[in-house]
Amino acid sequence: MVESTNTRDILVQLGKKVVQSILNEEFPRLEIPDRSTDNIVFDPEQGQFVLGTTRVMRDSSKIRHVKSFAQLVWVASFAKDLLDASRTSSLRDLYYSSEAFGVKFVDQAESDRIVADLESLSGMAREDFGVFPEEHSSVYGQVTMRYTVPGYLGREVDLTVSPDGLPIGPALMTAEPVKSNAEIVLAVECGGMFARLIETRAWERFKAVLIHLGGQPPRSTRRLMRLLHDRLDLPVYIFTDGDPWGMHIAQVIITGSANAAHIRGLTIPDARWIGVTPEDIVEYSLPCDSMNDADIKRLDELALDSRYTGPEWQQHISGFKDLRRKAEQQAFSRYGMDYVVDTYLADKLA
Amino acid sequence: MSEEVQLAAVFNSISPAEFFYRNRHMAGFGNATLAVYSTVRELVENSLDACEDSGRLPFIIVDLVDESHDFVSVTVADNGTGIPYQHVSESFGKMLFGSKYDTRQKRGTFGLGATMAVLYGQITTEHAVEVHTQTGTSGGHAYRLLIDIEHNVPIVESDSTLDRDGPGTTVTIHIKGDLKRAQDRILEYLRMTTIVTPHAKVLLRINRIATATLGRWTEQLPSVPVVSKPHPRAADLEMLKRLIAENKQKSVRSILVESFQQVGDHTAARLLRHAALDSRKVGWSLSREEISRLSAALKSFDGFARPDGSCLSPVGRDSFLTSVKSVFPVSFCSYGRRGPSEWEGNPFVVEGVLASGDSVDESDVPVLYRFANKVPLLYDASDDVFMKVLKKIDWSKYCVRGARQVYVFVHLSSTRIPYRAAGKQSIALVPEIEAEALTLLRGLARELGKSARELGHRGRSVKKMHEFAKSFRLIAKFGASLAESDIPPTERLISGLFEGSDNGRVD
Repeated sequence: MVESTNTRDILVQLGKKVVQSILNEEFPRLEIPDRSTDNIVFDPEQGQFVLGTTRVMRDSSKIRHVKSFAQLVWVASFAKDLLDASRTSSLRDLYYSSEAFGVKFVDQAESDRIVADLESLSGMAREDFGVFPEEHSSVYGQVTMRYTVPGYLGREVDLTVSPDGLPIGPALMTAEPVKSNAEIVLAVECGGMFARLIETRAWERFKAVLIHLGGQPPRSTRRLMRLLHDRLDLPVYIFTDGDPWGMHIAQVIITGSANAAHIRGLTIPDARWIGVTPEDIVEYSLPCDSMNDADIKRLDELALDSRYTGPEWQQHISGFKDLRRKAEQQAFSRYGMDYVVDTYLADKLA
Repeated sequence: MSEEVQLAAVFNSISPAEFFYRNRHMAGFGNATLAVYSTVRELVENSLDACEDSGRLPFIIVDLVDESHDFVSVTVADNGTGIPYQHVSESFGKMLFGSKYDTRQKRGTFGLGATMAVLYGQITTEHAVEVHTQTGTSGGHAYRLLIDIEHNVPIVESDSTLDRDGPGTTVTIHIKGDLKRAQDRILEYLRMTTIVTPHAKVLLRINRIATATLGRWTEQLPSVPVVSKPHPRAADLEMLKRLIAENKQKSVRSILVESFQQVGDHTAARLLRHAALDSRKVGWSLSREEISRLSAALKSFDGFARPDGSCLSPVGRDSFLTSVKSVFPVSFCSYGRRGPSEWEGNPFVVEGVLASGDSVDESDVPVLYRFANKVPLLYDASDDVFMKVLKKIDWSKYCVRGARQVYVFVHLSSTRIPYRAAGKQSIALVPEIEAEALTLLRGLARELGKSARELGHRGRSVKKMHEFAKSFRLIAKFGASLAESDIPPTERLISGLFEGSDNGRVD
């Protein structure tokens, strides 16, 4: 996390640069690290995707650039206002707010893109200046967090406070872990499995902080997982469906995504994908479906992806390819409600 | 008396004057409004012709006064040549008398119109026409004239010498008419007149109040049409009979050579071979059958050169463009011209100006203004050859709809205008004129399309500049908000960027 005063200072400097060049009767220009796929490289040392050295020039004297330049400066000023008022905003909220300032975005995809531009330009994550995605995933486990947000500053929350789990929002993301009984972080893909693990008190049995990912998790969730991993020294295990998509959810948590290659501090290189692996499908005789063309195609893509060069990953991919079948997390229910906890997870986390 | 003889007597008893009065609607005197308009029109056209002959810049004063009992006095004064004193009475007091029988372009045709106005005034108000004219540099004559309708001869009520401040003619006709309803149309007529006679200045006074001063848009005098002999194809049987009767002793070959343009000895010989006539035959010896054969041969022979266009006087590019720009709020203007060509041996030129204004218009076709021999045609547009041509063109191809108000001005110059009726308000559908007009308007429409596209580009770039300026001001505003400073001035940067660049030129 970048200190908020520091964040604010970076935004003010951006404004000063713009104003000074106009006063000098020069059109302001900004150099933004290029986020196009051509400029995204995998850094094995950091174990994550990072941006290459290419930069794009955004020149306000160009008719094609001036609009997005204005949007970028507005997003920065909006972010500074959020910081000054200790407020947060969702990406969607930001998109709608733009109209009030006379700034127009074609759609939210455009405003999201401009937010990402500001991230790569300033080297900060949008969460640093109070902008969060709409969707929430949840957390449940024996950890006590202390809030740092205004109004809740210093208040503590036990992550087992709600039997439904606690949504991971801006407040929890910026909270500090103060007390913990947990020994691992266990992230699961779907809500059904998350609920099952809470009900069966698997969190107690495995001393696990449970995370509900809900597909590809929002960055705030990854950030919280990283925080628990770093601060409490908890190993991270990821449990997803047994197909290329589930496997890739784990991969993004481990090594990062192309979309967020300009953001550091999100990846957990030593996190582990426990399954469902192709071997599990066979070993546990799980009920499964045939893979469709999209699944096969995805496997071909992943086989060539630099993040999957490790022998373990290649083995998973060829395992799926040989099997041509896939299985969901819930498939374990054929052996009874508790089987996944008592047998499968017990095996995996042993 | 036999029935046949009786009938002939009845016909004989109708003088041209009586005939025209009975058919006054054909001549444009059908109702009280039209009568005022037509009277003004006939007098103004005579005045302009007289000025053209004098080589002076025309200055025409039109005075319209409401008198009692729906009576209107119409006075038109000019600074033209004046009327030779010996011709004054017949010019105004006898039908079908005039100076306009030669072959060259004139506004009036037979000297019929003004006499028609005199006749109409005399019958509706029992007033004589007042004519005050001066031909030379000093002196002048004033007349009061009536028409003996039955015998078609002028009656001179009074004739006196009266000084006039310079050469020219002033004519006052009292008629029964509706000035209130006619005055808008008259103003429009005079305004349109200055489009095709841009070197004229016209002052309109209604009830002694100066209502409008129109022109002069240019000092440039139009080319004076040269009198020329008729083209042989323009000769009908009657004209041929007259020519032969007037030259009884001459050989048919010399009659042809002397009477017509584009006919030399060689062409005459070929023509007579074509007509199977002996070229040495003299006029009196020609039989009726031979004359009609010759007449037919004049039409069917294809060895004549085109008629000479020097007897025509088009408005011309510069004058036409100048006048349109002076009278209409237009930004784009383009001129085109076709001819001289001929229809039935009559040379003609079609010229036109296509203009577009800045006001927005939703109509499918441009607004059409028609002119013939420098006379605006205001009525009966729907049957006119130019209207037909205008509607033949798909104007949507040339970005007319929903863009700018487009005006089309078409002027036909010819030694003979094929009017559809004696009212002289619309031109008949003559294929040759239609074809030339279509080519002319197509060409002008293409020019318009080109300009519309260019204007479109420029419009887009102006829009681009506005959008750019808007975005750039936002940069300055939010930059300042970030920096917590005052908003820096941006206008110099923006205008500097768009100055001189093709992208952002703003006219």
